[in-house]
Amino acid sequence: MEFLKDFWRILREDKSALMGAFIVCVYVVVAILGPIVAHIPDVPSGEAYLLPSWKHPLGTDFIGNDTLTSLIIGTRPVIEVGIASAVIVVFVGVVVGLFSGYVGGPLDYLIMRVTDIFLTIPGLPLIIVIASVVHTTSPWVLAVILSVTAWAGLARAVRSQAMSLRTSDFIDAARVQNLSMNNMIGRQLLPNVGPYVAIHFLLAVTGAIYAEVGLFVLGVAPVSGTNWGIMINLAMNQGALYTSKSLLYLLAPMAAIVLLQVALVFFARALDKLFNPRLRVQ
Amino acid sequence: MVGYLARRVLMAFVTIFVIVSLSFYMVRLMPGNPMQYLEFQLEQQGNTDPEQIRQQVQAIYGVMPSGPLWQQYLTYIGNVFRGDFGVSLLNPGQSVASIVVSALPWTLLLVGTSLLISFGIGMVVGRAIAAHPDTVFARVMTGIVSFLSAIPQYLVAIVFIYLLADIHHFFPITGAYSNNTTPGFNWGFIASVIYHAILPVTSYVVVSFAAWALTMKGSVTTVLGADYVRAAEARGLGDRRVTRTYIGRNAMLPMVTSLALSLGYMFGGSVFIETYFSYPGLGYRLISAVNSRDYSLMMGCFILITVAVVFANLIVDLIYPLVDPRIISPASRRRTRPAAAAAATDVVDLANPVATKM
Repeated sequence: MEFLKDFWRILREDKSALMGAFIVCVYVVVAILGPIVAHIPDVPSGEAYLLPSWKHPLGTDFIGNDTLTSLIIGTRPVIEVGIASAVIVVFVGVVVGLFSGYVGGPLDYLIMRVTDIFLTIPGLPLIIVIASVVHTTSPWVLAVILSVTAWAGLARAVRSQAMSLRTSDFIDAARVQNLSMNNMIGRQLLPNVGPYVAIHFLLAVTGAIYAEVGLFVLGVAPVSGTNWGIMINLAMNQGALYTSKSLLYLLAPMAAIVLLQVALVFFARALDKLFNPRLRVQ
Repeated sequence: MVGYLARRVLMAFVTIFVIVSLSFYMVRLMPGNPMQYLEFQLEQQGNTDPEQIRQQVQAIYGVMPSGPLWQQYLTYIGNVFRGDFGVSLLNPGQSVASIVVSALPWTLLLVGTSLLISFGIGMVVGRAIAAHPDTVFARVMTGIVSFLSAIPQYLVAIVFIYLLADIHHFFPITGAYSNNTTPGFNWGFIASVIYHAILPVTSYVVVSFAAWALTMKGSVTTVLGADYVRAAEARGLGDRRVTRTYIGRNAMLPMVTSLALSLGYMFGGSVFIETYFSYPGLGYRLISAVNSRDYSLMMGCFILITVAVVFANLIVDLIYPLVDPRIISPASRRRTRPAAAAAATDVVDLANPVATKM
């Protein structure tokens, strides 16, 4: 309770963080309810590139479908894959980091050298190559592909914290009690890196959405169904870049992504303030 | 010193080796093995001589498709380290090596220029914000910079193309230079290259300078509160001396680390920007290879992008001791950097969006 009170106080003081939290919530609601309330008709209900009107608040696309409807339906796949990928990134990063930091010695050295390799490999080109070879339509497989290098940074950071925790008194006390490795890592170390992990989770979502939408925009991931990346891809391939009438159709999914990314980063900053009292003074 | 350098060089080679191995197994073990598909295609085209088919596949992938996997693997590794990536399916008669080698300079030009400009602007803006955090300028700039750093690069590129190249024809949208200039060291060609690079470089800089500014701001703010800065001020040292020797150098340390980490991200971003601007670098080649299922060219581009990033990282690692001499002397590091301090530099913090992006 104390924690929630603190959190609410920080959000209230920091307007941009409050906005961020609110916008993220709206997106999540749209992702859950969107496909239930909105439907794309089999036959387009308007002419191509109509200007905004009461019937089509954001105008229509190149074949006359309502842009707002596509935008709403396209929210779920983006958020779904973003969250799934962040869960994988955080899980792998935390397990590898805590384990490596806790065991130490040659095993730790080996794990960290492997982590360094993943940290050096340029993530996006690797994701593009894997996505093109696998050519999957499954959101879960896509989430795994997007996580392929993103866990390494978190693993390194978590490991450093585990190492400095290892020498602290309460860990010594736990060790004297002969607790099992699972208990040591799961019950003793994990709660101490929790705040850091929570922030990194939000950043992992933004990273995954950045790459995911990028794959669809480039056409590397199979273009089927509706999501923001596919909307931009179609807009560009259907010649929207060459007519000023298409401005709204091209900008709508882009604005949706930018707004979500900015909101997530501002929300993450509020969490950082909550967990790092040092930052509040500045 | 020698030990540090040797370790870094060894790690760079291990990384490249891992990537080359990965690229070998990826194409062969994934569903829809493209080598088998190619054999099948050649058979369909009425080619009945299995020996001839095998030779054609070998020419394209640089590996005999028959024989045990480990043998194929060894041949492949040997070929790649000799610079033989096979031939391109998409560009008949051209070797993958010649395509990627001609593409590399364009990517280096784009990424290098963008990195220098955005790093420079980011340093200045970040320091200005951190030095006087309560001014209107600092507040407005912090808002702008936070907003910009959250925008995906490719969206900026699309907006630029839309507004400045397609609707209003201020800038060219394709290629790295105009067709009516002769490549070489002459003014017409150089001017054309610069003209064609303005939009792609600006797309990069607009987004990435913001991330640098945030990193620099965080770095300077941390140093400003440090005891040794206050001690230096208390000793009555001049403003310039304090700013340069005490703040500047210590604030730069984390920046050099971010520089290394951001390189991979910069090369990743080049894929989008080069594709949209049809800029003939590695990223553009990679995407055209992906779209036409030209796997040997795709792997060639990917390997060379990785090698470029690994070497750039290695160079940053090698100049790092010049900025922070503690790194090469393990004894002094153990004394001056206890585990907690080492941990603090390892943590990729929020103020460092460059490193947290892919």
